[in-house]
Amino acid sequence: MKTIIYTCPYVPAEWIAAHGLRPSRVIPDAAEAGGALGRVEGLCPYVQGFINEVITNKQAGGIVITTVCDQMRRAFDILVRRCDVPVFLMNVPNTWQSLGVQKLYVDELKRLGRFLIGLGGKSPLLDDALAEIMLKYDTARTSILAAGGYLPAREYAETIAEFSRDGPGRMPNNTTSPEPLIEGLPLAIVGGPLMRRDFDIFDIAEQAGGRIVLDAAETGERGMCTPFDRRELRDGPLMELANAYFGGIQDASRRPNSELYKWLKRKLIDRGVRGIIFHRYVWCDMWHAELQRLKDWTDLPVLDIDTTGDNETHRHRTANRIHAFLETL
Amino acid sequence: MSDKPKRITLEEWDLRYEQLQRAGVRQPPAVAIGGRPNYDGPLSRHLEDGDQRLLKLRYDNSAAALRLWNFLLTEEDRLHQARAKGKKLIGTMKDLGTVPVMAYSFDNVVAFYPDGAWWIPCVMELSAGLLSIADSLGIDESFCPVRAMLGAFVTGAHFPVPDRLICSVGATCDDFSAIAQRLNSLGHPIFWWEIPHRRKPDPNEAAINLPGGFRAPKCQVEFVKSELARVKAALEESAGEQLDEKKLSAGIKEANQVRRYLAELRHLAFTAELCPIPALEMLIAEMLAIHFCSDRRETIEVLKELLGEVKARVQAGIGILDADAAKIFWVNPVADLQVMNLLEDCGGRVCGTEYLFTHALDAIPEDLPALEALARMALADPMVGSSTERAERICTDIRKLGAEAVLISRIPGASHCALEGEVIGEIVQDKFDIPVLEIEVPPVTDSMRPTVRTRLEALVETIKARRKR
Repeated sequence: MKTIIYTCPYVPAEWIAAHGLRPSRVIPDAAEAGGALGRVEGLCPYVQGFINEVITNKQAGGIVITTVCDQMRRAFDILVRRCDVPVFLMNVPNTWQSLGVQKLYVDELKRLGRFLIGLGGKSPLLDDALAEIMLKYDTARTSILAAGGYLPAREYAETIAEFSRDGPGRMPNNTTSPEPLIEGLPLAIVGGPLMRRDFDIFDIAEQAGGRIVLDAAETGERGMCTPFDRRELRDGPLMELANAYFGGIQDASRRPNSELYKWLKRKLIDRGVRGIIFHRYVWCDMWHAELQRLKDWTDLPVLDIDTTGDNETHRHRTANRIHAFLETL
Repeated sequence: MSDKPKRITLEEWDLRYEQLQRAGVRQPPAVAIGGRPNYDGPLSRHLEDGDQRLLKLRYDNSAAALRLWNFLLTEEDRLHQARAKGKKLIGTMKDLGTVPVMAYSFDNVVAFYPDGAWWIPCVMELSAGLLSIADSLGIDESFCPVRAMLGAFVTGAHFPVPDRLICSVGATCDDFSAIAQRLNSLGHPIFWWEIPHRRKPDPNEAAINLPGGFRAPKCQVEFVKSELARVKAALEESAGEQLDEKKLSAGIKEANQVRRYLAELRHLAFTAELCPIPALEMLIAEMLAIHFCSDRRETIEVLKELLGEVKARVQAGIGILDADAAKIFWVNPVADLQVMNLLEDCGGRVCGTEYLFTHALDAIPEDLPALEALARMALADPMVGSSTERAERICTDIRKLGAEAVLISRIPGASHCALEGEVIGEIVQDKFDIPVLEIEVPPVTDSMRPTVRTRLEALVETIKARRKR
C-alpha cells in the first residue's frame, strides 16, 4: 500500500485512507543545516525541515502540500524540481465564511482524489468506504481526546502525533493514571506545528513545575478536526468531512481568524490555564504576528518562545526561559 | 523634447524648473489647466513633507519626468481633496491592480493602496517612525517593509484612513496577510476576498488563456469571478451607486489606455540602443498602473507626456547612459529607490522588469464580460502562481529584450523571497546561461551601500567580460 505524506492539518487522512492508500502526517525532526536547499535565509525552519524530511523519505508514494502558508506553497516549487515522488498542491482557502470557498475546498478534495487514483488508489465513493473509515478515525480521535487529562502532556502529544502518522490503531493507554492528572501549574502551548525535537518542551515545563493541559499547537489538539455528525456522515460523508476539517480547525492563517480566539477562549477557561507558552519559528509570519495580539487579548501571562529549530543553544535558551516563566508564575 | 538628457540632482532640478517656468513650459502649482488639477511646482518643495531621500536621488531632467515626480509626491493631498469633495476612499490591499480598475469605474470613488506606505521609510529616511510603531505592535523587522503601513494607519499622517478596506488573501505573501490581520484586529475592519493559487489545468480540464500568457483552469476563473462579484457589491454599498456592465467596461478601457502607454514606454526603454530614460523613472511609471496614483486621468496624461519624451529621444538617438551599459533584467521592486540609481552608476541598465505586478501591465480583455475579464487579470498575477511559471515569463521577456543578466532584489523578510530566488535562478540559468545575482535591499541602504555597490559592479563586470568571450 502506498504511503501518502503531508503535514497540513487541513488534509483529511480519512480521504486518503478511503482511496485505499496509507495517509501519514509527517512531523519533521528538526531543521538541520544543509539538505536540499541552496540558501535558507528567511526560510521558516519548519518548512525547511519538511522539505528535507520529504526528500529523504523512502516510503512516500505521494506528497500532499497545501497553500495554507506561503512558504509551504512555494516549497511545492522546490519539491517538484528536487523530488521524484509525485507532489500535489491543494488549495486551502484562507477565507472561510462564503459558500464559494467551502465549495472550493470540497472541489479540491475531489481533485486530490483524482491524484490519489492516479497513484493507484480506488474511488471511495463507489461504496461506503469513506463513511466507514471516517467512523473509525472519529472513534479513535474521541478516545485520544478523552485520554487528554489522564496522560502526561508529552505522551498525549506523542499519541496525537502517532495517530496522525499511522492512523487509528493502538488506542491510548489512559490507564497511566486512573485519575485525572492535577499536579503542576496548568499551561497552554499555542502556535504553529511543533517539530519532534520541540516535544522536549512538554518535559521542560513539567520539570519546572508546570503541566501543559492545552496543546494548541498545530500538531496538537488544535490541529484535529471536530467530531463528525454521525447522521450527516451517513447521508453525505464527503460534505461532513469538509465541514469537520475546513470548518472545524481554527488557525492563525484564517481571514479573519477571529474563530481561533473564540476557540482559545473556550479551551483556556475549560482547562483552567494559568500561563501560555507561545511557540513560533523565526520567519513564520502568520504566528509571529499573533503574538502581540494574543498578549493584548488575554490576561494570562504569555511566554514567547521563538526558535530556529536546529541547535542545542536554542534548546538551552528555551529551557531557561520556561523555567524563569514558571518561577514568575 | 527637453535638452540633452541626463540624470540630475534635486538642486539642479530646481534651477532647471526656474528655466522651464521662464520658458513657459511649466505652470506654478495650484493653477488648474484645462479644468484639470495642476500638481506642478519645484521638486524640492516636497522636502518640506520630510521626503529627505529626494536629496540623494538622481532624476531624469525632462519636463515629463518632473510631471511624473510631482504627480507621485502629491498623492496624499489628492486623497484629502477627494475626501473633502465627498468621494469615498477605498483602501485596496495586496491584489496590486485588479480592484482599482473596478473602483475607478464609479463616479465617486477613489482607490489607493495603503501598501504603498512601504516606500515611506525610504522616502523619509526612517524619520516618520512608522517602523517603530510597527515594532510596538509586534510586527518587527522580520516582516517585509510593508509593515510601515501599520504605522501609517496609527499616525494617520500619510494618507486619510479609507472608508473601506478590501484585501485579497489566499495565494498571497504571508507578511502582508499577517499584517493586514493585525490591522483588522486594531479596529480597521477588512473585506477579505480569496484569490486561489493559480494551478496548471489538469489534462482534459477546461482551461482559459490569461493575459500575459499563463493558463488557468476555467473553474478557477469562475471562482475568482464570483469573488470579484462580492467585491463589486461591497464597492456599490460604499459608493451608494450601482456599477453596471457599461461603466465597468469603460473603466477597463481607461485602464487599458494606461497599459498601452506603459507597454510602449517599456518597449522603448528596454530595447532602444541608447537607454532613453532612467530605471528609477520607469519604476515610478510602472507603479502608476496599479491604482493610477489616485487620479486616472492625470496618470494617462503623465504617461503620454513621458512616452512623447522617450520617443523623441529614441528618434534623435540620444540617451542617458553609455551605449555599452550592461543589460539587466530586474526582478522585484526595491525598498530603497536609490538602488535604481546605483545600478546605473555602476554601468548597468535595466532591460526588463518584473516588479510583482505584470498583471497590472498586460492588457485586460475588452471582448469579454467585464467581471470575467477582471477575473482573468487577477489570476494572471505572477505572485498567485508558482515561481516556476513566474520564471518562465521572465525567460520569455529576456528572450524578447536581450537582457544579459538577471538581478533578483530580495525584499527583507518577505515570505516569497526565501525560496523563489533559487527557482527563478535555476530556470533562467538552464535556459540562457546568463548570470543571476540576488541582492537584499532594505528601505535605506546607506550602511550597506558599499556591499550592494560591489555586488552590482561585479555583475556589470561579469556581463562585459562575457561579451568578449
